[in-house]
Amino acid sequence: MRLSKIMQNDYLRLHQKAEKGAFVVWIAIVVPAELFSGFENVVYAVPESHAAMSAGKGVGPLQCEKAENNGYSPDLCSYARIDLGTSFDGGKDSPTFGLPKPHLLISDNNNCSLLVKWFDVYHREWGIPHFILDVPFCYETQKEEDLRYILSQYQDIIKIIESMSGQRFDYYRFIEAVQNSHEALFHWKRFLSAAAHKPSGITVFDSFVQMAPFLTSRGTKELAEHYRLLADETLENVSRGIFPVPDEKYRLLWDNIAPWHQLNKMSARLAELNANIIAASYTYCMGSVEGEIDLYNYDGADPLRYLARTQNFSVCPHGLELRFQSMKKAIASMGIDGIIFASNRSCKVYSLMQMDLLKRATDSLGVPAVMIDIDHADARKYTEENVFLRVEALLELIDAKRNALARAHHKEG
Amino acid sequence: MHAFDEIKALRKDISKTIGCFPLYPPLELFHSMGFTPFVFWDLRHFINSFNTADKHLQAYACSVSRRLVEFICSTPDDIIDALFMYNACDTLRNLPEIINCCLQEKVNKPRIFKMHIPMAPEEQTKTTDYLSGRITALIRELEESFGVSFSPERFRQSIALYRKMRLLNEKLEKMVAQNIISYNLFSLITRKGLFAKIENHIEEMESIAANHSSSPKNKHDVPTASVIISGILPPPPSLIDALENYEIRIVGNDIATQRRSYAYTPGDTGDPCLYYRDFYHHHFPCPTLLYKSDQRLAAIKNLIYNTRARGFIFIGEKFCEYEYFEIPYLEKKLREMGVFTLHLEISVDDESGANYMTRLEAFAELLKS
Repeated sequence: MRLSKIMQNDYLRLHQKAEKGAFVVWIAIVVPAELFSGFENVVYAVPESHAAMSAGKGVGPLQCEKAENNGYSPDLCSYARIDLGTSFDGGKDSPTFGLPKPHLLISDNNNCSLLVKWFDVYHREWGIPHFILDVPFCYETQKEEDLRYILSQYQDIIKIIESMSGQRFDYYRFIEAVQNSHEALFHWKRFLSAAAHKPSGITVFDSFVQMAPFLTSRGTKELAEHYRLLADETLENVSRGIFPVPDEKYRLLWDNIAPWHQLNKMSARLAELNANIIAASYTYCMGSVEGEIDLYNYDGADPLRYLARTQNFSVCPHGLELRFQSMKKAIASMGIDGIIFASNRSCKVYSLMQMDLLKRATDSLGVPAVMIDIDHADARKYTEENVFLRVEALLELIDAKRNALARAHHKEG
Repeated sequence: MHAFDEIKALRKDISKTIGCFPLYPPLELFHSMGFTPFVFWDLRHFINSFNTADKHLQAYACSVSRRLVEFICSTPDDIIDALFMYNACDTLRNLPEIINCCLQEKVNKPRIFKMHIPMAPEEQTKTTDYLSGRITALIRELEESFGVSFSPERFRQSIALYRKMRLLNEKLEKMVAQNIISYNLFSLITRKGLFAKIENHIEEMESIAANHSSSPKNKHDVPTASVIISGILPPPPSLIDALENYEIRIVGNDIATQRRSYAYTPGDTGDPCLYYRDFYHHHFPCPTLLYKSDQRLAAIKNLIYNTRARGFIFIGEKFCEYEYFEIPYLEKKLREMGVFTLHLEISVDDESGANYMTRLEAFAELLKS
């Protein structure tokens, strides 16, 4: 209920402020939105988040088709197709009546460089300036020179908004926003920590849907408060013995973006099998830096530097070795029995190293794993039976491993 | 000849080899430091099965990445000393570590060098210092790893060679437009150049230019069925043959291994930082160079204006989203200019051309109408 209200208010406020003349920025998912809090009347919208919501509400394929009818290939990312379809049709069929038209587009190429191409479509069609936040990919821990390069671009973003909107950047408002976000992330990690309990206090589907306000309310007190309450309630439920899958037999890890069109169905069907996907690389990365799963601490000294250091907080900007390191930590800390690698046609950047990750997880960590085919927002590219055939095979693998261990113990005994 | 054999044959005369991907690496720099650089692209003619690649990449990765992985992983030991890659697309940026996994069993693994080329437009963000830092770091890494050294004088000599190569490419491209040499031959030569010593490549191009130096037929006559072809790869031979059968003449190209690669060479300098700033800044627009997006339509219009082409054929490589995000807009703009457009999609499952012959025939009719 509280989550729905926050989301409704965020989109309502966005439309209302835009209507009243606020400067509107469309951003890619990992552009640090706290920067906009430094301005009195700048609002931001996240097309990826809107696309995920559209998929969750069941209008993904409809909006994708609109983009396809305008010549955009069905092989393109379904978020992009949903967003293009929605925009070309003036927001029709969108759960939020679309997004207010932007004055500025800010994409980045670390999470997904195709976002730059996607935003370029609007840049060309509507003649709106497009800022490309250029962030070097992380094969290893972020280098100081890369951090400085990112910092210089944050300064450029501030300058361009000042010059386009005529508003002055207020550093103190910005500091407050960064503190709010950091506090929110602190509570986010507390919320996720409920997964370590056996049985888990959460399912991954809870954490998937709870990511949404981080994208639409970044930098606000409301976000920090929401995550504080969420963590308190969840941990309270754990202490009272209330669990989403009480007879949890299989504790699974999910690797990739959520299949937004399948959350309810998948969750229910897994629960019937006493299986719980308790964590995801997609959600444990929030608030961390490359190769880690714990909160990256903000000491309050330099908020811009903190944002630059955590610019690569999501999984996609990380190389294989770093992803493996964080996955290994998650497996150990949460007692994971098996991994579902969701090979996602709409997100090559997330998916195209999963075959080697799967091999490493099974070979070196001994954790059973399977790969399933999904598309995060285009339900037409998803086949439930194929997916569950694999998931059930994974559960059998876990059983086989447990039986083998039990036999070994028995022999030793 | 297979690329491996070409490299092996060369190996006798050269001390160090470096395989680069994608298409716009700092070749002059590698050459000046004693490497023979190869560009691992357009591998369709060498790789037609994906036994190794399929263990590491899903089938919805583009054919370029799948062939690249297969190619590198099946390269015989001791013919490639180093690999170099820079950021171009979401697929390719994952490849260095995937390739590393593939090569795990090899005894003599090539050392992999990576570099981030700034993708922010200069007018938005000052990228000069960052790029200079990357070039300097690359030189240092090469020096430390291979005991080589950078020399401004040798760098100037390498620039001169690569400029000559690019100018010769332009010359041959014109000869294709004038119907003096076939596009098939031109395409073969540019592909061979990716795996050749620059000196040998220049020699071969000079020889072709000299051997076909007869006056162009119908010098000022632009054929009615004249087209520009565009894509990250040249069309497969079956498609080129079909174009010739339907009397469609390729009068220009926007192919990544061709015009996009040879259209610009910076001026002479002994400073690699200055050189590559100029090189990347003024590079012919390619969808993978994110900061060049605004200049892409103008560059294509210019090509059409200079060649007086009547048609434009997009040779789409399946799963290459970088091209696919731009095609609808470019098609719209070209049609507004009165240029006929055709969009063909090539995939690894269908390079025979069977599925686009009818469309090509209809397009030829349209051009001639």
